[in-house]
Amino acid sequence: MKEEQKQEYKRKYEQAKQDGVKFWPDIIYKDLLMSFGLFILLVGLATFLGVTPQPKADPSDTSYIPRPEWYFLFLFEFLKFIPGKIEWVGTFLIPVLAVLALFALPFLDKNPLRYWKNRLAGISIMGVIVLGMVGLTIRSVITTPKQEEVPIADTIQEQIILGQEFYSVYCVECHGPDGEGGEIAGVEGLEGVVLKSISSRDEMYTRSDETLEAIVAYGQQDLGMPPNGLAYGGELKKAELEALVTFMRYTWDDRVDIPEDAAAARAIPEIKEGEVPSYEVHISRIAQRYCISCHRPGKENNEYLMGTYQEILTTGDNADNNMIAGNLDSYLIQCITGESIFDPETGEEIIQQMPPTKLMREQYIKIFEAWVLNGMPETAVEAELLTSEGQTE
Amino acid sequence: MTQSIFSWLDERLGLTAIYNTVLDRKVPKVNWWFTLGSASLFLGLLQGITGMLLSVYYVPTPDHAYDSITFIMNGVQFGWLIRGLHHWGASLLILTAFIHLLRVFFYGAYKYPREFTWFTGVILLFGALGMGFTGYLLPWNQRSYWATTVGTEIAGTVPVVGDFILRVLRGGTDLSAVTLSRFFSLHIWIFPAVIIATVITHLYLVIRLGISNIPDKDS
Repeated sequence: MKEEQKQEYKRKYEQAKQDGVKFWPDIIYKDLLMSFGLFILLVGLATFLGVTPQPKADPSDTSYIPRPEWYFLFLFEFLKFIPGKIEWVGTFLIPVLAVLALFALPFLDKNPLRYWKNRLAGISIMGVIVLGMVGLTIRSVITTPKQEEVPIADTIQEQIILGQEFYSVYCVECHGPDGEGGEIAGVEGLEGVVLKSISSRDEMYTRSDETLEAIVAYGQQDLGMPPNGLAYGGELKKAELEALVTFMRYTWDDRVDIPEDAAAARAIPEIKEGEVPSYEVHISRIAQRYCISCHRPGKENNEYLMGTYQEILTTGDNADNNMIAGNLDSYLIQCITGESIFDPETGEEIIQQMPPTKLMREQYIKIFEAWVLNGMPETAVEAELLTSEGQTE
Repeated sequence: MTQSIFSWLDERLGLTAIYNTVLDRKVPKVNWWFTLGSASLFLGLLQGITGMLLSVYYVPTPDHAYDSITFIMNGVQFGWLIRGLHHWGASLLILTAFIHLLRVFFYGAYKYPREFTWFTGVILLFGALGMGFTGYLLPWNQRSYWATTVGTEIAGTVPVVGDFILRVLRGGTDLSAVTLSRFFSLHIWIFPAVIIATVITHLYLVIRLGISNIPDKDS
């Protein structure tokens, strides 16, 4: 900039100052108002949108789709346009040049004029860059596939309930519904193996949470226990392993008390004399604890699945005989009361006692019987109707 | 009484001189776009305050980072609000700072005599982005873990020294407790120190040179 141009600017600026306002209070007042407005906006965002909970970091779960903060998305998207061979042009050369250009802008732009119409070239270049950044950001948001939702259990209660679901699926078939162990029956490759209890005081007092998690994740592969952690070829993510351990700790360790609402949410309610149980309240919870570990897809179970109401009623090789409304000769009732089912033609045993190792508690068997006798109602409302009908008769 | 206390203080601290140079000065008439600089400063201070409060409970180790934040969100009185402000404040700060930059560009305010002010402003913008990048890892959740994995990988593609930069950032070949510790240190000590020093310079220059005016058609 030439000396006379500098003088000219100074003169104009002095004039603008003379025609201007006082910093205090005029400018400060606007600034405070703006800051206050933004503060209110932030409190609103924090209160009504909050911070979306994310699952804990899990280095073994490589299926996670990485996404940076929104203000880095444009850069991320930009890199997709650079061929892999010259990746460094996009990751290094162009960003470095852009940063240097931004720093050096006052020296690159030698135009002494300031009004936008007198600087159309510069304004256009900046405009294109900003629009490009906005466009790339939008494109990135649109093209990034949605992340599969993982259940996040934040509170102890949620963790216990989630952990119990995993325990039912992955552990019950060998370790039993209460971790009692015993002789394994009906599990391929482990038939007849005798397991110690994993819910005993000895076990709970001497294993830390970290140890339990490691055992569940890695398994005891030399002894036949398969790995369950994603890192070792199993199916459970880090957060899920932790939920499982939380369930074990709170359920079996007599030094910790299970929170009341967690206990209530997973309890299997007892039925009174004449009360009709429902799938919703009773059967689903019993099935979850005792049955679905084997009666889920991919297990040897005569294709009989027990994950939903429909599955219990309609699946399996013996679907016609498994569940017959009002009939205690239904295969399921016979099995859970300790009898085996034989093929009527060949006389071969086709279904053994269920659960194979140890029968359920008497009260749960009674619930199943009452359920079958009353036509297997699905919802609590249906069951209640049936109960009151039974009482009026 | 008040008068005598004030004059005692004024004699020693020079309050009147500060008032005259900083507050009671004439500046050109400007519009609302000119509030974004001070708004960024306000948001920066808010980030500092909420950040300090978060550091009371936050533990920067892979074993405890996630749980300590869960505790802040669920167990600490108004912890959700402090974290919410810090979380949203970060995004808003980047936004206000960037629009502030565009305003400065549009009015040509980076030109003589404010070249150096522009220079410090660009440092502040990258300081804020650095804070965003390092702060993103601290919750140690899936999102932060994988974003940082990819982010540091990108740094690793720099020719010749890429691998070295990657190792310095991660403190090894993979993301680990060392990475978290380094990012935490950058986030609460190194970047803030640079940013505070630069903000002071930036403000000094703004007061010394005055707020730029809105250019008229002939300039």
